Amino acid sequence: MSTTAIELRSVHKNFGATEIIRGVDLAIEQAKIHAIIGPNGAGKSTLFNLMTGLHPLTAGSIHLKGREISSQAPYDIARAGLARSFQVTNIFANMSVFENIRCGMMWDRGYKYSFWRFAGRQRDLTENCEAILQQTGLTSRRNVPAGLLSYSDQRALEIAITLASGADVILLDEPTAGMSRSETTQAVDLIRAVSDNKTLVIVEHDMGVVFDLADTISVLVYGEIIASGAPEEIRGDPKVREAYLGAEVD
Amino acid sequence: MAGILQRWGVWIAAAAVILVMPVFVTSGFYITMLNQMGVLIIFALAYNMLLGQGGMLSFGHAVYFGLAGYTVAHYLNGIGEETLPYLPVSLIPIMGGAVGLFFGVLIGFVSTRRAGTTFAMISLGFAEMVTALTLVVVTFFNGEEGIQTDRWVGPEPLGITFGSDVQVYYLIGAWCLIATAAMYALTRTPFGRMCNAVRDNPERVQFIGYSTHRIRWLAFSLSSFFAGLAGALHAVNVEHVGFETVGLAQSGLVLFMVWIGGAGIFMGPILGAILITLLNSNLSDFTDAWYLYLGLLFMTVVMFARNGLAGLIVMHEPIWKIKIGLFQKMIVPYALGIGSTLLAVAGAIGIIELAYFMSTRTTAETITHLYWVEIDAAGPVPWIASAAALAAGFAACTRTYPIMAASYNGAIAEVKALVAS
Repeated sequence: MSTTAIELRSVHKNFGATEIIRGVDLAIEQAKIHAIIGPNGAGKSTLFNLMTGLHPLTAGSIHLKGREISSQAPYDIARAGLARSFQVTNIFANMSVFENIRCGMMWDRGYKYSFWRFAGRQRDLTENCEAILQQTGLTSRRNVPAGLLSYSDQRALEIAITLASGADVILLDEPTAGMSRSETTQAVDLIRAVSDNKTLVIVEHDMGVVFDLADTISVLVYGEIIASGAPEEIRGDPKVREAYLGAEVD
Repeated sequence: MAGILQRWGVWIAAAAVILVMPVFVTSGFYITMLNQMGVLIIFALAYNMLLGQGGMLSFGHAVYFGLAGYTVAHYLNGIGEETLPYLPVSLIPIMGGAVGLFFGVLIGFVSTRRAGTTFAMISLGFAEMVTALTLVVVTFFNGEEGIQTDRWVGPEPLGITFGSDVQVYYLIGAWCLIATAAMYALTRTPFGRMCNAVRDNPERVQFIGYSTHRIRWLAFSLSSFFAGLAGALHAVNVEHVGFETVGLAQSGLVLFMVWIGGAGIFMGPILGAILITLLNSNLSDFTDAWYLYLGLLFMTVVMFARNGLAGLIVMHEPIWKIKIGLFQKMIVPYALGIGSTLLAVAGAIGIIELAYFMSTRTTAETITHLYWVEIDAAGPVPWIASAAALAAGFAACTRTYPIMAASYNGAIAEVKALVAS
């Protein structure tokens, strides 16, 4: 018996007259890695943006652990325990790596907007940051301004900020985009290491990564889910083969 | 002991400087200037909570400075006429802060919904609105005349009357230290860190659980508090508050101070306030073209020193921290660079002053003073000399700047090698 972490019910999204998401029903199980794949322009990132409140829905509803979050503000959804990373690196460039991570965890630890205590004196924040630095392999880069990191370190920081929130549902938007083979291997190891007891939803272009990591794969084509299932089912699905012209999935 | 010094050294030094300054500076003119400086340091730091810390460009922050000043002026008058309850004059700045906070909370709620251009335009709108109100609501603002006040009111605890400028100096000095420490502390709190995060990347902030509007609003309100505190001290200091204190010129001046000093660095606005006040008090007596020079200085900093004067200092920090001896090799290249800059500047000032004199003179007289020398502005000699200095200085700059840059880069490379080994 598994429970649902996120549920999308007939979600629609139009930008002007253009339908981008055309009725998506999707249930993502708790503590599983769920990949969403699909050709360019299928609406994968839009789906993420709808789930995390960046755009309001046109129709339908989204539920996080049974609670409706449709069209709520991004910060409300983040506070409810849904964290996301971005396809284009989205960090605090002028702040140190350590501070980036600390900012990512302050709300969750109850520091909110407090201006009567020093952030540097809060041992729980510092210790948790060090742990995440260790986990993501960024310890040696601790005090470097984030904007000066190498690309793959910035991607690791992107994930580190997402993890820092302590959310148990994490959306990763193309975590290995633009990485070399060896960097990708490292990133996959990192994702696997952090996925313990967490629900991960991943949008990814690298089919090797997807079939390696995912427990479940959903295929989004032209704003609709055309197939959803275990990796081997997806691999054999004729509709998926057709959508990908039989090339990439093999 | 060493630990205490390292931690609090800067603050102790600042307190000591404030304390002993009047021993060396005895002329009334300079005490007045120092008082103004202290007020503007607080105002500039408050403004930088928006610009440098929170990434909000305001064109109307004088509104909170000025409104607090007006309120405090009325209150002091009320104390004097015994129509309002007594409040020690030394605590009046808190009242100014409260006024600033009140308007900051109110106006900030609207203006901080969006950052960038929208925020800047709304700040401009409110500035114009309040300036217009000064001419309309005569009972409070008293039009162009403004409000006259007297700080010598109420009982005189320990003989402190604030009758003399030196007593006001210590009042402003104490508040300047307190406000600076408070604003510095704020940058280190969770709120302060999130201000920087909003400045760097507002989009991401929302996805880590924070409302960008709340952070900006809070920053705006606290910044208005300190602007109000500065405004109250201004009212106490000059005993007059006029419509110019809420106006665009005052808002622009604080932006200039912060940017010239360096918005990205905490001490930047302090340097900016000190420099601009020094120039303003001293140069405005010598030349009518003072605002032209201020504009040129501002443009130069915007184009060539993105982090302002503080940025120029901080970029040398690794050298004095790792191996201060490296500066020895930099003395000559820097002297060359600075020397050629001064020559070019001297030439430019000559031309500007001559042109200014010729175009604004009211008599046929063409004899004037340039650099303490009597010259005939109608003759070719001063013009040619100035132009030659400018050209020679500029030509020298193109040669000496690369030498200066090379000596800096060399020193930094040595520091890096030292750190690596």
